[in-house]
Amino acid sequence: MKSAYVIKRILYSIFVFAVVITLNFFIPRIGVDDPAERYYPPQGNMSQIEYEIIKQVTRQQYGFHVSTWQQYLNYLKGLSRGDLGTSFRPGSPAVIDLILERLPWTLVLSVSTMLIGLTIGVLFGVVAAVKRGRWQDTMLLNASTVMVALPSFFVALILSFYLGFELGVFPAYTDSTMVSSFTWTWESIARVAENAALPVMSMVVGSIISYAQGTRNAVIAVTNEDFVLTAKAKGLKQGTIRYKHILRNSMLPIVTSLGMSISGLIGGQVVIEQVFNWNGMGTLFLAANNSNDYPLMMGIMLLLSGFTIFAILVTDLVYVLLDPRVTVGDKR
Amino acid sequence: MEPILKLRNLKVVFPTNFGLIRAVESVDLDIGDRECVALVGESGCGKSVTSQSVMRLIESPPAVTRVDAIEFAGRDIKDYGPKQMQEIRGKEMSMIFQDAMTSLNPVMTVGNQIDEMYRRHQGDSKKAARQKTVRALELIGLPEPTARANSFPHELSGGMRQRVLLAMAFACMPKLIIADEPTTALDVTIQAQVLKTLRGMQRGCGTSLLLVTHDLSVVASIADTVYVMYSGKIVEKAPVKDLFTAPQHPYTVGLMAAVPRLTDEKRKFTQIPGAVPHPARKPSGCYFHPRCDYATAECKKEMPPLVKSGADREVRCFHPLTAGGRQ
Repeated sequence: MKSAYVIKRILYSIFVFAVVITLNFFIPRIGVDDPAERYYPPQGNMSQIEYEIIKQVTRQQYGFHVSTWQQYLNYLKGLSRGDLGTSFRPGSPAVIDLILERLPWTLVLSVSTMLIGLTIGVLFGVVAAVKRGRWQDTMLLNASTVMVALPSFFVALILSFYLGFELGVFPAYTDSTMVSSFTWTWESIARVAENAALPVMSMVVGSIISYAQGTRNAVIAVTNEDFVLTAKAKGLKQGTIRYKHILRNSMLPIVTSLGMSISGLIGGQVVIEQVFNWNGMGTLFLAANNSNDYPLMMGIMLLLSGFTIFAILVTDLVYVLLDPRVTVGDKR
Repeated sequence: MEPILKLRNLKVVFPTNFGLIRAVESVDLDIGDRECVALVGESGCGKSVTSQSVMRLIESPPAVTRVDAIEFAGRDIKDYGPKQMQEIRGKEMSMIFQDAMTSLNPVMTVGNQIDEMYRRHQGDSKKAARQKTVRALELIGLPEPTARANSFPHELSGGMRQRVLLAMAFACMPKLIIADEPTTALDVTIQAQVLKTLRGMQRGCGTSLLLVTHDLSVVASIADTVYVMYSGKIVEKAPVKDLFTAPQHPYTVGLMAAVPRLTDEKRKFTQIPGAVPHPARKPSGCYFHPRCDYATAECKKEMPPLVKSGADREVRCFHPLTAGGRQ
């Protein structure tokens, strides 16, 4: 029964990904007669014949000279080899290379934010739930009210100003040679950590609070469930009730929100990366958008949606491990 | 008969925004050794709060509990700390809840949930506990107990789940079991089987039973002594036979008249007029007087005391019905 569910989920994810690939290919082509014009908009000082020649060359170079269906098949063929196309940038770099160059730097920020946020957040949430109504709980409530009104880029600006410029504890914005001079030495790693400190701090505050709030609410909801009273009536120790009965059941909604946030890991934090001049996926996407670099945008979008689908699949599969009831709906 | 439980003057109050909710008002309860006592009343009359107070399971805050004595198996447990209560709960007194679906942890196998009893109170290893669990499930009449122990609650039927709760409650052979509406969530045929099992286990294990229910047919089939509760107060106490043959309190009479009977189809199905008073706005005098056919001016002014009205009987009424007619 369980393996049937798992296989069904995997097939479903593959289907969704196929739809995404197709949409990703066709949407940028809606309303465009000639993709070459996107690449090379007409310029004033150019004669009609010159422009036609340039467009012809461009079409050949990027494979726009064949029919749209043929292009789609070529695109699929390319994908199967891991080729996401060629960027419109000077020198025509491969999209996949541009992405792979930036991805690790985005992951540095997002994974550390998630891990720190999750650990501290769940801990705070459990404490707030256990000390419900006391100062620990009130503090969390007040903090989350404040954080709702404070967007992360504002926190970023404040941190950058005080910790960066005024006190000089951490670099106010990223050292431009950090990426180019990176080697696997402790010194280099320490430098990355130093540069990442402020961006991570600006994002982690919100992350801690949202995980803490989610955990607190889940734990309180589960604490009011009948089976917790049963556990109490069995004479179980407080700790056993908390860890074996309450915590495991409250992890279910947290796994969901974790799964949702995993998909955001590679998207890059566009605004935060801009504020700290961090060369990650966010800045890459912004650059692609500003220069009409369609192949690059398509590549990033495909990666994002693929990762989201994967994250949801993983969440669903983790659910099967955590909650035996998950497959029930499937049987009927 | 040496009583296993002597509850004296239990009061439970919930302060709320709409005023004080006096859930339980001065309730005394005696349960003898191997006796089955039923606590009967409509929903909201305080019977669940009373039964949970016996196990000291009512959270305070929000509740405020005052009690003169909870004498259990020869000692007063009213001032026991959380650790001491943990030792008693499950081991010497245990509870069976109404809805087995929500009362069992959905992400743990039922076997593991019963194992917990043995591991906590008898210090058994995982393996030894499981052996006892399987034996308990077998005793309670669950087919294929070894396989069933590895099932999750949602994989069992309602009757099976209730049996799991029974097995759990009887696991450590407690002196007292409190069953809070143990059969209400089941359909009638399963209800009868589960009740039969409960009664059989209670007799076999020599356990006392406090049965909380609103179902008079359940009471008639297994109780020895009955307490009738109305709006937080005990209104009548009697041995089960006496109660059914000669109810004394008008409320008890009303309850019995409201039970549909197969034998007289033509008789109209009666009901007690009005509704249970809101617990924060209880009427003056006798709480039942607005719904009572026999109420007089005295009933409106003063709460009648619980007085002895026969052998082992007590009633809280100025005008109790007697065998010889109305006084």
